[in-house]
Amino acid sequence: MRIQPFDYWAAPGLNEALNELDLHGADATVIAGGTDLVLNMKKKNILPRRVISLHNLNELDFVLTDESLDNDSVRIGALSKHADLAENPFLKQHFPILCEAVGLIGSWQIRNVGTIGGNICNASPAADSAPPLLVLDAQLVLASKKGEKKISLESFFTGPGATVLEPDQILKEIVIELPKQPSAGCYMKLRRRKAVDVSLAGVAFQAETGPDRKTLAKVGIALGGVAPTPVRVPEAEALLAGRTLDEAVTKISDCAEIAAKAASPIDDVRATASYRRTIINVFIQRCAQNVLNTLKNSGGD
Amino acid sequence: MLVPINIIVNGEEYHLKVKPNQILLDVLREDLGLTGSKQGCGLGKCGACTVLLNGKPVHSCLILAPYADGKEIVTIEGIAGEEPHPLQTAFAEKGAVQCGFCTPGMINAAKALLDDNPEPSEAEIKLAIAGNLCRCTGYNQIVSAIQSCAPSNSDIQTEKRGKSNE
Amino acid sequence: MSKLDVVGKSFPQIDALEKAMGKTKFVTDLALPQMLHGRVLRSPYPHAKIKNIDTSKAARLAGVKAVVTYADTPGIKYGPRTDDWTIFADDKARFYGDEVAAVAAVDEDTAEGALDLIEVEYEELPFVADPLEAMQADAPLVHDDKPGNIAAEFKVEAGDVDQAFKDSHVIYEDRYYTNQVYQAYMEPMGALAEIDKSGRLTLWTGTQIPNMMRMTYATALGVSADNIRVIVPDYGGAFGAKMENNVHLVAAILARKSGRPVRLINTRHDDFIAGNPRVPMYIDIKLGATKDGILTGKEVQVVGGAGARVVYSQVIVATACYRVDSLYRFKHVRSKGFTVYTNTVPTACFRGFGNSQMTFVLESALDMIAEQLNIDPVDLRLKNGIGPNETSVHGWKINSSGLKECVVKAAEKAEWKTKRGQKKPFKGIGLSCCNHVSGNRPFAREFDGGAGIVRIGRDGRITVYHGESDMGQGQKTTFAQIAAERLGVPLEMIYVADVDTDISPFGLGSFATRGTLMGGNGVLAAAKDAFKQLAETAAGMLEASAEDVRCRKGSFFISGSPEKSLPFKEVAAQATYDRHGAPVVGTGFYTPPTVLPDLETKYGNISPAYPFACQIAEVEIDPDTGQVTVTNFVGAHDVGRAINPLATEGQVRGGVTQGLGWTLMENMAYADGKLINPDFVDYIVPSALDVPEIKPILVEPIEPNGPYGAKGIGEPALNPTMSAITNAIYNATGIRIKELPVSPEKLLEEINKKRGQPTDNK
Repeated sequence: MRIQPFDYWAAPGLNEALNELDLHGADATVIAGGTDLVLNMKKKNILPRRVISLHNLNELDFVLTDESLDNDSVRIGALSKHADLAENPFLKQHFPILCEAVGLIGSWQIRNVGTIGGNICNASPAADSAPPLLVLDAQLVLASKKGEKKISLESFFTGPGATVLEPDQILKEIVIELPKQPSAGCYMKLRRRKAVDVSLAGVAFQAETGPDRKTLAKVGIALGGVAPTPVRVPEAEALLAGRTLDEAVTKISDCAEIAAKAASPIDDVRATASYRRTIINVFIQRCAQNVLNTLKNSGGD
Repeated sequence: MLVPINIIVNGEEYHLKVKPNQILLDVLREDLGLTGSKQGCGLGKCGACTVLLNGKPVHSCLILAPYADGKEIVTIEGIAGEEPHPLQTAFAEKGAVQCGFCTPGMINAAKALLDDNPEPSEAEIKLAIAGNLCRCTGYNQIVSAIQSCAPSNSDIQTEKRGKSNE
Repeated sequence: MSKLDVVGKSFPQIDALEKAMGKTKFVTDLALPQMLHGRVLRSPYPHAKIKNIDTSKAARLAGVKAVVTYADTPGIKYGPRTDDWTIFADDKARFYGDEVAAVAAVDEDTAEGALDLIEVEYEELPFVADPLEAMQADAPLVHDDKPGNIAAEFKVEAGDVDQAFKDSHVIYEDRYYTNQVYQAYMEPMGALAEIDKSGRLTLWTGTQIPNMMRMTYATALGVSADNIRVIVPDYGGAFGAKMENNVHLVAAILARKSGRPVRLINTRHDDFIAGNPRVPMYIDIKLGATKDGILTGKEVQVVGGAGARVVYSQVIVATACYRVDSLYRFKHVRSKGFTVYTNTVPTACFRGFGNSQMTFVLESALDMIAEQLNIDPVDLRLKNGIGPNETSVHGWKINSSGLKECVVKAAEKAEWKTKRGQKKPFKGIGLSCCNHVSGNRPFAREFDGGAGIVRIGRDGRITVYHGESDMGQGQKTTFAQIAAERLGVPLEMIYVADVDTDISPFGLGSFATRGTLMGGNGVLAAAKDAFKQLAETAAGMLEASAEDVRCRKGSFFISGSPEKSLPFKEVAAQATYDRHGAPVVGTGFYTPPTVLPDLETKYGNISPAYPFACQIAEVEIDPDTGQVTVTNFVGAHDVGRAINPLATEGQVRGGVTQGLGWTLMENMAYADGKLINPDFVDYIVPSALDVPEIKPILVEPIEPNGPYGAKGIGEPALNPTMSAITNAIYNATGIRIKELPVSPEKLLEEINKKRGQPTDNK
């Protein structure tokens, strides 16, 4: 399968990359691991004339806890590979939902090459990393020659394959605040087989208790694959936030219903809209149940 | 436009000039004659092209050749020493090979798994090879071939060819 | 035959280690000096008039050495069974993927780039994709000379079906649909074609039918069959698909026009849209039984979609119509089959050959009958199953039948009684039986047996030549074991040659689960002949009579005096010297005791042996998502004697896995006449995580017509799987699956209906 010829330049470092983007960003396609992009070039969905590769930017392959910020945060370099993130002990401890989700991306082979920055910038409505990062209130650091800018992930996606990223910008890192109180999360995706499939519908559910460990201080619910972009469902979150764990349990099915209503899925070869909506409902209930149980157990100690 | 790349393939250094739109699999098969890696789908969905890149399994059909610059690649031709690799022997002896088209990629994924996790559980094995499709065997024998190569099962490896089924 | 040294033992496939080391050269890996790379331009429309093709721009592209269209072909209509094929679309393209033009260039990129430069002027025509719609009076015609889009009709009737239904206590009647699925062998189809100075074509290709393919292609190319040589290297799976396909002929036309060797391998996309997938079928069944559970009558109507040309679909529809009639003691049966043209990819053979489609339907119906009568499905099969030394309603002579033993053993292993008795919500267990053939007399009318050549050179190297095909199933190893056993040598001494139509016997090929029995008997006869010749030489050397000479484990000796022995190699050398350099060449063939069935009644024994099976599946259903997990699987198979138990079990596991994929996830989906999932992104096949441990049980009644008692296994490995799983789903939910694949969404809808809940919360 032929890939149309293109001009190619691999950035040796971040500054060089930003300089090049400043000059040629408008007519260049930026590639990291390339697992999605190369596939789409082969399928002729994307015909780039100029490719700028960031794969040598090892300086963006990191997971760091940042004590310098006001709030303790974790910073994930955009060039971090899914396989590494899925196994990262720090992330597993604090954000297991993210590890689970990136561990479900593609095959092992894909996860060894694909990067979290690529998964986000590719802006597939079904991107597995997006729903967990949304519910974790992830911030994105966008860099350009002019400087850095921090925006919320929620404001990043504008449509299928479309983002607010300017031609001279790259996604540098993802910042997530560490939870202060006990928290738990759960990600579930609908697949046509038990491994290696795109998400037909994905649900991320994250919750954090207040200092009393009995009240839900924060609830995040996000959906993938059922709208033009990955989306949060604030109205469903609001139904649970502020309630005690025991109260919340009784509201799960209402919450799931609200979230399923909020989804705007489509019919395609993979599943019908109505089935996707049904599954959103089921998965929210399961995720919520799972998270509330975990919190209840952790509150007991 | 050609891009210079330096790669080590099966222990040998190569200084190549590649087209940037060239795929690593094609470099291996066409430029280096290493036809053990197969193209089954070209879209990273079957795993027949699996090679090890710095020790990790990747779909070489989805890797632009320049990505491999400075990296070490191991293909099926490179995993045997003087004797076949134990996985190669185990695959043959356990009936994990039928048509054999998926086998090189499958063995590479299995090798990476065992290098990383010498005593994998059945679930871990299945997950590791989930990106490698096999249409002949039903996977059962592939899983048991991989299991037999775990150090704790080394006795199974010495099973001799032609053992009676009775 | 009481003590066997090689046959009946589990050996790794003789070429497995080479494959595991990546040394095997598949079709994809072959290259010749000056070789060009071919690519095919395919129709983007399901049905369109071709008004003009301009190849001039493509031909001018640097590196392009040939561009060809229908105009470069002899323009002969041909086909394996029906002359409705042309090499490239003639006046119109009849399916999305139809061959319109092709390019040979110095590399694949150039060839693919040149495709974009070919300008084709199409006029889109109304199309029809569904076989039932294609039969409607106002449907567009796929071929103008085929009214009603009917490619073929088939009828068979025996006994008095109407009376049988009148005499029935229960009758079950319903319509089922089995979908179009793709074989998904790991190596796509293709060929390397070279034409020599005399104009003779050599094709290196992965094919199940090297000799029959050569005959068909000779017609297509307007040459004598002698002008085509087919060589079959190792190749990556077939499962029925790798028979005739235009891709091979396109390679030949490109080689002819460019004057250089051309390798043309389908991209996976092209293989999806222009391969030979399974014949989709609408099947109406009516089945009756007495209150004791004795089957009375069966009536079916099959409508099969041929796609845009007939590959083997009419034989496949015929097989669906009546093969299962010989699984049970039916007396009154009536079947009608229609093979119907549609504007889709031509459909063809896929493991099971129509019998799998009908087995799914019959075995589903049987469970419905069992339920109505409150009889255990196991008992229903045991009551009606055909036994050894019986003759079926269509005159099939069942010598050996381990059917009932398969049912009993599978039920035992799966703990059927316990699990059926202690039903848990959304868990279920189901079973299904099947029969099959080991060769099919009417498939090729000229003959149906097999032949072999065993050549022994001066150094004692033993080469077996056969005319079937090793597509990865291990046919070579089976033949090697048979030859080794008969000659009395260790397996290591046998080498099995690739099929080369210039050298190998004129074999019919590997299909109809015939390789082991037909080819194996042919090789056995050849080995016997070679042994006889060697025994004469050995008799001279040992000063004994040839009848008393034996060979075991590579040593010749006189019967009763094993202490005095001669190494095989010494005897081979002496035999060669005695022949002034000529090798010992044993040849032999096998004439099966079959008959061409009567054209009208279809009565007659079509196969020398009939394999049987019973498979049991256990499933777990997620009641909130409708997703099905197969948690346990037992497959008991009557294979006659298993020449190689390891390989035989491998066939069972592979067949079950393909059946599982078909049942739960595989479907070629169309929209606007175009295949919309032509890749492994959206055509999902089982991964390692989707397959449970599959527990094969080999039931081995010695089949008198089989080589060392063997029957076939390839297709029965898959035939019962679909209904074993859907019967288990029925047991788990009370929902009868009548359409493949099982859609989690539809299953969920049905589950919710039963619970009295809506599925959608819009």
